[in-house]
Amino acid sequence: MSEFEPKIIAFVCNWCTYAGADLTGTSRIKYSSNVRIIRLPCTGRIDFMLILQAFGQGADGIIVSGCHPGDCHYTAGNYHARRRWMLFRRLMDFVGVDLRRVHFSWVSAAEGAKWAELVNQVVDEVRTLGPYKAFPQRFHENGFPVQLTVAN
Amino acid sequence: MEQLQQMARELLERQQVQVIIGYEAGSEANRRRAVFVRRAEDVSRLIFDDACRQNLATYLLKPEVLVLGKIGMVVRRNTLRSLMQYAVENQLADERVIAIGIGEEGGPRLLPNFAAVEEYLAQLPRGPSAAEKAELKKMEQLVMEQRWAFWREEFDRCIKCYACRAACPLCYCNRCITEVNQPQWIPVASDALGNLEWNVIRAMHLAGRCIGCGSCADACPQGIRIDLLNGLLAREAQQQFAAEPGYGQRKDYALAVFKPDDKEEFIR
Amino acid sequence: MARIGVFICHCGENIGSTVDCAAVAKAAGELPGVVHSVDYKYMCSDPGQSMIKDAIRTQKLTGVVVGACSPRMHEPTFRRACNEAGLNPFLCEMANLREHCSWVHEKLPDTTAKAIDLVRILVEKVKRNKPLSSIKVPVTKRALVLGGGIAGIQAALDIAGAGHEVVLVERSPSIGGHMAQLSETFPTLDCSQCILTPRMVEVAQHPNITLYTYSELESLEGFIGNFKATIRKRARGVDEKLCTGCGVCTQKCPNKKIPSEFNEHLGTRPAIYVPFPQAVPNKPVIDRDRCTYYSKGKCQVCAKMCPTKAIRYDQEDELITIDIGAVVAATGFTIKGTDFFPEYGYGQYPNVITGLQFERLASASGPTLGVIRRPSDNEIPENVVFIACAGSRDSAKRLSYCSKICCMYTAKHAMLYKHKVHEGRAHVFYMDIRAGGKMYDEFVRRAIEEDQVNYIRGRVSRVFERNGKMIVKGVDTLLNGQSIEIEADLVVLATAMTAQPDAEATAQRMKISYDADHFLSEAHPKLRPVEMNTAGIFVAGACQAPKDIPETVAQASAAASKVVGLFSRSELAREPVVATVNRTAPPLFSTCVGCFLCETACPYQAIERDDIRGRDGQLIRQVAKVNQGVCQGCGTCVALCRSKAIDLQGFTNEQVFAELLAV
Repeated sequence: MSEFEPKIIAFVCNWCTYAGADLTGTSRIKYSSNVRIIRLPCTGRIDFMLILQAFGQGADGIIVSGCHPGDCHYTAGNYHARRRWMLFRRLMDFVGVDLRRVHFSWVSAAEGAKWAELVNQVVDEVRTLGPYKAFPQRFHENGFPVQLTVAN
Repeated sequence: MEQLQQMARELLERQQVQVIIGYEAGSEANRRRAVFVRRAEDVSRLIFDDACRQNLATYLLKPEVLVLGKIGMVVRRNTLRSLMQYAVENQLADERVIAIGIGEEGGPRLLPNFAAVEEYLAQLPRGPSAAEKAELKKMEQLVMEQRWAFWREEFDRCIKCYACRAACPLCYCNRCITEVNQPQWIPVASDALGNLEWNVIRAMHLAGRCIGCGSCADACPQGIRIDLLNGLLAREAQQQFAAEPGYGQRKDYALAVFKPDDKEEFIR
Repeated sequence: MARIGVFICHCGENIGSTVDCAAVAKAAGELPGVVHSVDYKYMCSDPGQSMIKDAIRTQKLTGVVVGACSPRMHEPTFRRACNEAGLNPFLCEMANLREHCSWVHEKLPDTTAKAIDLVRILVEKVKRNKPLSSIKVPVTKRALVLGGGIAGIQAALDIAGAGHEVVLVERSPSIGGHMAQLSETFPTLDCSQCILTPRMVEVAQHPNITLYTYSELESLEGFIGNFKATIRKRARGVDEKLCTGCGVCTQKCPNKKIPSEFNEHLGTRPAIYVPFPQAVPNKPVIDRDRCTYYSKGKCQVCAKMCPTKAIRYDQEDELITIDIGAVVAATGFTIKGTDFFPEYGYGQYPNVITGLQFERLASASGPTLGVIRRPSDNEIPENVVFIACAGSRDSAKRLSYCSKICCMYTAKHAMLYKHKVHEGRAHVFYMDIRAGGKMYDEFVRRAIEEDQVNYIRGRVSRVFERNGKMIVKGVDTLLNGQSIEIEADLVVLATAMTAQPDAEATAQRMKISYDADHFLSEAHPKLRPVEMNTAGIFVAGACQAPKDIPETVAQASAAASKVVGLFSRSELAREPVVATVNRTAPPLFSTCVGCFLCETACPYQAIERDDIRGRDGQLIRQVAKVNQGVCQGCGTCVALCRSKAIDLQGFTNEQVFAELLAV
């Protein structure tokens, strides 16, 4: 079997990190191709439920990234998001979700190099951790919903 | 107890309220259940002791209860905190309920409006009990895999009956997230992912709002320790944001306000 | 049933050399719902766009995905193309195959696989897109200009001249700003007041301009085209309608020894005063902190003397709320005082002054009537040392920027001194001479060559007193760093230009951004130099960065033309990416439970309460409603809403969820 390649899902805001990742491209900085970006207007829009969904969808690692404090295009969306993550992280940790697979960062529209570095770091870290088999999945590999477990 | 019954009788006789919601003896010696007393001669059914645990506030948002008229309610600390949270969340008009405060601080005492409730609550001790704190600590001392195994086992028992939701005073949404199907965030069936999501999402929806009555865990037929999840988030919200839901009428829901210098050591 | 068209762009070699575009198009063609999938060299070219338009028409497409560059680059282009072919522009999405794929990955099968994933994600999204139409917001054609210096005056006159109403707010008692304090202006040496005061009068007399002096912006709410400004009109203590500006009160005021702000504390003024003779409006104010009546309860000389009985000791601040469509921030600058410099005596030496104080000494209307006299003993100085870059370009003083105007005004000062004191000697210590501008370098050369100002390239380490003389100790770097001492009668510091001390608070009040030095940040340093990031707010003058008069005036006119451009329409069209609260059948009317926790989370106060009433008018429920004119579409409320009663158009839960399931 070939080496395990992790699946990374990134939720990013449109104004800073998405633009930062655009700059990575314009600067032709190469990084790992394992990441799939989902663009949202603001980190404030990133529902904590999306993180659970992403793991349930087979993600091995997750990146959540937006504007640095003070830089939010909508003035305060990232501050609200930060509070949400502060609590949600504690909860995930408490129920035993592997926090080494969830990364929060601020990447500005000027930080193209930081974006590449972040993705590479997360991919490397998650590659060492291996696939996130422990997390229950929404679908089987054949695309059908997983078998129902009958509660005892 | 006599004092409580006397107070209830007077409220009904003077027509200050049309119904008193309180506790009466249950089917077994150590069980209590809710009772709706509408006639003065029935006040002798009202009792109060440590076994009266149910949070009666849940009744206050039900249309079929609201039509009964003005309500008198026998309330413990946690029920009072629910009333305050209803005030914050625009769910209950002031003076809709005359609360009869009883419990840790003795009583009974008539609390006719939110301001009186707030004043009364200000005198009561706050925060989780030592036992609750110790239980959280004990869980946190486990390693990640052990915590994961513990909760997988807990959630595996969930049958998605939503008794927790029904018992919770703050689960009053018209449409619960579990019933939202466009998109279907939480799988309908009681499967591993669905159970995990349901319990975790519910805990997050109560973060910064939960008043810690423990009714959800009491109601769970499978004995799942949902109260631990709520307790953890209540502690975190208190420690990180000084959130103490249910003690005042100010709109300061921890997840809808922020400070520019909230701690962020986990963000790269 | 969805009929999606997929268009994969090679972007010449940019995508095509790394990603197998044909394979992507083929794979996309097999996705459920995709009825048309092609690749082409340049999708954004005319033929490329025609391919999309033709396919929309012939294939009756219900959605389009263009796999090309970043949507931040060409989304408007392709959405326009769709619109031209009769497809709602919001049914078009872009997969970012260039910036996020071909440019950042090697030519490997994984890269093409990623490209296919990116397209599939957007195909799943676009299937759930809804046609949206842009939101129309009305425009109030009235501008607020904040600051009555030359920037504000120019902007106000330009906007008013184009036929729109202007409200000009100035916080000091008169408009004019720093320019009114200047003696002569570089490089023409024409008298500052001679060119400024006619414009000030024009402002006062313009039928379209409402002038509020001695007033400040209390709050600014709303959004482009629809601001609500509240102005605090501070109590002057004088009824402006009755006052004729005769000046008797200022002459009779017994308390005359107050340092004059206008004269940079080199002269005095009374407690009831007009800052300078040509002030607009020419109506005095009472300085309540200094007036004897307010401190001791006695005096009232001015009230007794006033021929029109216009004095009002009990006058109170007035709050005025005005509807505004656009704002020009022209709040100006300040300079560092001499007390900022320990090495130049911490402001202890009376004969060490700032450039602005020198302007007052040189001004014909100044405290010395234009004769250069040193403050300590009113003697005419024989040796004057000018020190450029006092504070500027000094990161140790946390002022790393260049104040830009000092090189020029220092040359001007030296020249003016030489013109007034023919036998005097002028020395200038400088780091570099930055004299870029029309006739600017010629001007500096004239100072050096014709007026024989002694330019010394080097820094001054210390100014101190010896035997009653000021000693300026510095180095001459052109003489191998030889240290030199000059005995000076007067030292003039070209102190750094800084943001107003309350610039941060002002910016926060207007919800606009500012930089580390508290200068206002324009939306784009090159392409949007007079716009703020907050739509509808523009910037002019030195509140944005240090600049001289011609630049300030140019920027003010630019800001004014932006405002006039905005006012040329009676309605604005806005992107419909806004939140909405759902409405359902009775008895619920909405799945919103009315907890209004979203209210405090919204950064724009866009959440309103909607009373749902029965036919009898009785309140049934109260649910949230989004003011679509105010909402900016961040979606914070959407993530917060427990029952998902709020959704964000263009990024709905269904769309995002579908994207996630397609990864």
